[in-house]
Amino acid sequence: MASSTSNGTIRVGKKPLGQRMKKYWGFYLMFIPVLIFVAVFHYAPMFGIRYAFYSWKIVGDPQWVGLANFEKLFKQSQFSTSFWNTIVFSVVKLVLNTGMAVIISLLLNEMISIKFKKLSQTIIYLPHFMSWVVTASVFSLLLAPSANGLINQVLIKLHIIDEGIYYLADKGHWRTWYYIINLWRETGWQTIIFMATLTGIDPGIYEAASIDGAGRWQKMWYVTFPALGNTIITVLILNLAKIMNLFESVFVLQNDSVRRATNVLQTYVYYQTFNAGASADYGYTTAVGLFRSLVGLALMLICNWASKKVRGRGIV
Amino acid sequence: MAKQAELKYITPAGVEVPPPPHLNKAKSQYTVFHFINGFVFILVCLIILVPIWKVLIDSLDLTSGYGMKLLPTKFGLDGYVSIFTNKSLLQPLWVSIYTTVAGTFIGLLLSTMGAYVLIQWDMPGRTLFANLLLFTMIFSGGMIPSYLVMRAVHLTDNPLGPILLPAINVYNLVLMRNFFEGIPKSLFESADLDGCTPMGMFWRIALPLSKAALASIGLMFAVAYWNDYTNFKLYITNRDLYNFQMKLRDMMQSSDLPEAVGGATENTIRNACIITAILPFMILYPFLQKYFVKGINIGAVKE
Repeated sequence: MASSTSNGTIRVGKKPLGQRMKKYWGFYLMFIPVLIFVAVFHYAPMFGIRYAFYSWKIVGDPQWVGLANFEKLFKQSQFSTSFWNTIVFSVVKLVLNTGMAVIISLLLNEMISIKFKKLSQTIIYLPHFMSWVVTASVFSLLLAPSANGLINQVLIKLHIIDEGIYYLADKGHWRTWYYIINLWRETGWQTIIFMATLTGIDPGIYEAASIDGAGRWQKMWYVTFPALGNTIITVLILNLAKIMNLFESVFVLQNDSVRRATNVLQTYVYYQTFNAGASADYGYTTAVGLFRSLVGLALMLICNWASKKVRGRGIV
Repeated sequence: MAKQAELKYITPAGVEVPPPPHLNKAKSQYTVFHFINGFVFILVCLIILVPIWKVLIDSLDLTSGYGMKLLPTKFGLDGYVSIFTNKSLLQPLWVSIYTTVAGTFIGLLLSTMGAYVLIQWDMPGRTLFANLLLFTMIFSGGMIPSYLVMRAVHLTDNPLGPILLPAINVYNLVLMRNFFEGIPKSLFESADLDGCTPMGMFWRIALPLSKAALASIGLMFAVAYWNDYTNFKLYITNRDLYNFQMKLRDMMQSSDLPEAVGGATENTIRNACIITAILPFMILYPFLQKYFVKGINIGAVKE
């Protein structure tokens, strides 16, 4: 089925499907384990979504209730608190972390001593590799209201506060510290992507700017910052698509006194199911989970569309 | 000494400009800005390090009432002795080790095999396979349906659950595929002509040429397994199967602590447990940092 075209190359037509499949039989065999894993761990749970329309207390048979779970969900104040917390925590965290990472990257980029720059980078990446459990443990010790808590002791010594405050047990303070802890853990790691962009800027542009009389701040503002613009948007889009996944970081920093005020959708589902004893309704929590997945899907599609507009390719 | 006459740089249009950077003396590059910048980074590094340092020295301090001390007053290793002589702490450590080793191995196997199939451009069904994988990144059944499936296939209260579930990681698989795409096609074609089987090409060409990517992605898996808490929390209730993260979390929340040895106090043991949980990576990290960073850039290079 070969036919030669005018410019001399030879275009080969496709062989019949059966022959091509036969040629690749070994590859199909290799893909079977992957397919099994994806089927069991990702696709099988999707069939469980039907429980969102049932009431099911795990013992006995599921009872069909139609859309009752969703009606219940929109009436629960706990649900709306969790939903808005998910959005607010994620978005504030995303903006703070990205902003701080950009500032740190710009400053790192200005550093002259290579050794000091490398050392700083090594240190600021470090917390990213500590698990959330470890991070929470470290900060719960540091923030302890007793005489052992470093932060309270320092603040008392500086006469900023009179006596130790149990920061993680007060919902206002909890939010502040949640953002601070996230900054501490993730800022450094986020600088990697910005540093990669910064090192890619043609030094010739800086020279040209110098010759045109631009100073340090002008170069930073007119050359470096616009170059980062595209990367910043990419990072924001990529992370915005995943904001509904928030779970572990909130879960490990929560305690009983702030739980109701700090729940996000995933922790709400967890506590409603696994900490509610016999009254746990697996149908209801599946419905909450489905709502979360659908919002997540919508965000993904919006971000994918935005990504195609901004950088010419999607995110998945 | 007389003041040196300053050179003036004037453009053909008659505008005076500062000297080009390469004509500046090295020393004059350091301005007040650079000192402030250096100071800022010393501060940033301290903010990162002090919390970790504080836990480290408290784990080595046998007095109670740590307060603001940044050096131990009564140095001793009793906190660590308490951990490594206690079965209730050694067991979770062992669970962490074997889930990390087994999980990383299975995860790498699945990622490389999956990625290798996805670069077979002419293979019928390739697009379907790729879309099947990508769809899982944008939609999921959710926590409860996943739990019900895990329960149905007997992977709850089974160490295989937290080993097998995270082993299929589509993100890592896509990174691996991006890396494989960089291998020249002609290598595969000539091997094919010489009668090499697909499996043979996988083991003899694709894998040996991807050592750096294997190291990066392997490390990402290893960190995820060692740090895993969510999967254990959801699928494991039997305390004998807890990993170290679960045990650490338990100890932070309750006073149900293992028996202290020698002069160790409750808090000494807590601090020592935190350090033990991060120790493997703290030791390896300086040597492996480049692989971690590379992992992120495998994806970025494609842009």
